[in-house]
Amino acid sequence: MMNVMTEVKKQRNFAYPSARGYGAAALLLTLLPFLLQNQLYYLDTLILALLWASAAGAWNLAGGYGGLLSLGHAAFFGIGAYTSSLLFVKLNVSPWLGMVAGAVLAGLMGWFIGMITLRMKGPFFGLATIAISEVLMITAVNWTELTQGSQGVNIPYKPGFVNMAFDSKIPYYFIALAICLVPYLLARWLKESKFGYELMAVRDNEAAAQALGIHTVRVKVVIIAVSSSITAMAGAFYAQYVTVIEPYHEFSFSVSIQMVLMAMIGGLGTASGPIFGSLVVTGLDTFLRDVFQGAQGGIQAMMYGSLLVLVVLFVPEGLIPWFTRRFRSGKGEK
Amino acid sequence: MIFLQLLISGILIGGVYALISLGLTLIFGVMRIVNFVHGDMLMVAMYLSYWLFTLYSVELYTGLFLVIPVLAALGALIYWGVIRFAIRRSHEASILATIGISIVIQNAALLLWSSDYRSVHNEWATHSLQWGDLRISAPLLIAFIGALLVTGLVFAFLHYTYLGKAIRAASMDRFAAILMGVNPQRIFTVSFAIGTALVGVAGALLSSVYAVHPTLGTQFLLISFVVVVLGGLGSLRGAILGGLLIGVVETVSAYFIGASMKQLVYLLLFLVILIVKPAGLFGKRIPEVNQ
Repeated sequence: MMNVMTEVKKQRNFAYPSARGYGAAALLLTLLPFLLQNQLYYLDTLILALLWASAAGAWNLAGGYGGLLSLGHAAFFGIGAYTSSLLFVKLNVSPWLGMVAGAVLAGLMGWFIGMITLRMKGPFFGLATIAISEVLMITAVNWTELTQGSQGVNIPYKPGFVNMAFDSKIPYYFIALAICLVPYLLARWLKESKFGYELMAVRDNEAAAQALGIHTVRVKVVIIAVSSSITAMAGAFYAQYVTVIEPYHEFSFSVSIQMVLMAMIGGLGTASGPIFGSLVVTGLDTFLRDVFQGAQGGIQAMMYGSLLVLVVLFVPEGLIPWFTRRFRSGKGEK
Repeated sequence: MIFLQLLISGILIGGVYALISLGLTLIFGVMRIVNFVHGDMLMVAMYLSYWLFTLYSVELYTGLFLVIPVLAALGALIYWGVIRFAIRRSHEASILATIGISIVIQNAALLLWSSDYRSVHNEWATHSLQWGDLRISAPLLIAFIGALLVTGLVFAFLHYTYLGKAIRAASMDRFAAILMGVNPQRIFTVSFAIGTALVGVAGALLSSVYAVHPTLGTQFLLISFVVVVLGGLGSLRGAILGGLLIGVVETVSAYFIGASMKQLVYLLLFLVILIVKPAGLFGKRIPEVNQ
């Protein structure tokens, strides 16, 4: 009897699924949008969940693996959204190129922010990132010639692959899935690459990492730049999917916190954590909207806040590591 | 003349910023946590004064006697309910926990009182003192004087009472203070309660100057972050000088480049200080943070 139990426990391996597991997951992810084809509401939830999973996953690369608690990632989300939308609306550049341009711009911005915040320790880095996203928000509101200010930007609906606009929701699903896989695969790579080990060493003890010959400055700046670019890609996709962007939302503190919250809930510094966290939060959001019939936005946000407090206090490592630990009786890594 | 006018207005509002920031920096100094609920406590205090005035016609400055104990109790409750547990983990944990509480409080206010702007229209609200070309708003002047008095009281408390000395000792060296017989839990609770009560006083004083709405706290939280970092996180004198300085900077920049851009000036100043001199203008060293 005991042997059977341990066998079962061995097979329930969340962190490193088998090849068969990957096959099943790939099949499910491919079929899922077609199964939900007639339930657009749930398909929409799923697409948004994947979108936020990409942003949270991107945040997690710097915040979870690098220990850089950014509270202003909305800055990069907004840069991505605005770059692709403005290029499309004003110059008729394809959003695909706009997404790349946004990612490059946000990457450069992330590089610059990484350089200027190097000396900041502890909460100072978080405060600086809040200030940066606020500065960008004020710029976007006041630079009306470029951004149309607080009115926001409307993206005209011209369906076609080049314009990243489709009649069906299914293509959006696959784009979101593809973007979501970028931070996921990068996170998996971090777990088994020299750069990843260097990064986690810097997170755990910067002075010791430096003493061992790790170029801590380079490691931190690179991860912030990479994290920023991917966040911008999520922002560009968001703009295309929702078709309207406004500075008070895209650059807002609540967008920054949403990424942190999702990564926290799933598990900081785990590849699948942000995806799981995003599914939980977005699913909860849809559920609450059903229950309260969309009447009060305040209740959803109160749930987010309480969830954040509860996770910080009771499962600070996040749900994925917590599950993994429970089902694998404490052995092996997170 | 316009410069004198701007300088005076700036100093008056700066005095209130100083009072708000004093609470934030006291909490940081003692507990080493960055308290994101601070701005929302201002909002709660302003609503409390507003409702006391509107429903029970309690005059603002009388209402203070109720606002202070309620806010102090709320601060102690938040400390006992959440912060006490988060503080043992990491500075990330306490930041995220306070952000979580802040989201809950803001949205509770939104549900309870809607997003309408509300302000107290008492007999002082529209008064102003004329003195030649100078015009000084009466509620702002009262708020400044109130802030000055309370700040004086806090300094006296911290310097001349045993509890105050214990608080200062704990903020200088927590471990040594514990060895000297200071009870850390008690000191933390008291500091959190005092810090919150201070922002409560500021809220009551400001409720005839600004209209209150559920997300008002965020804006003031940002200002008080700027102030305390400018003055040196954890430094009480720094918070006062920083508050006055930011008050003047904000007023002058609002006059010259417009109200919608005024934040840009102090946010950029904030970033420059963080980059160039993170210990703050008046701080001696970067405070230690438990990683």
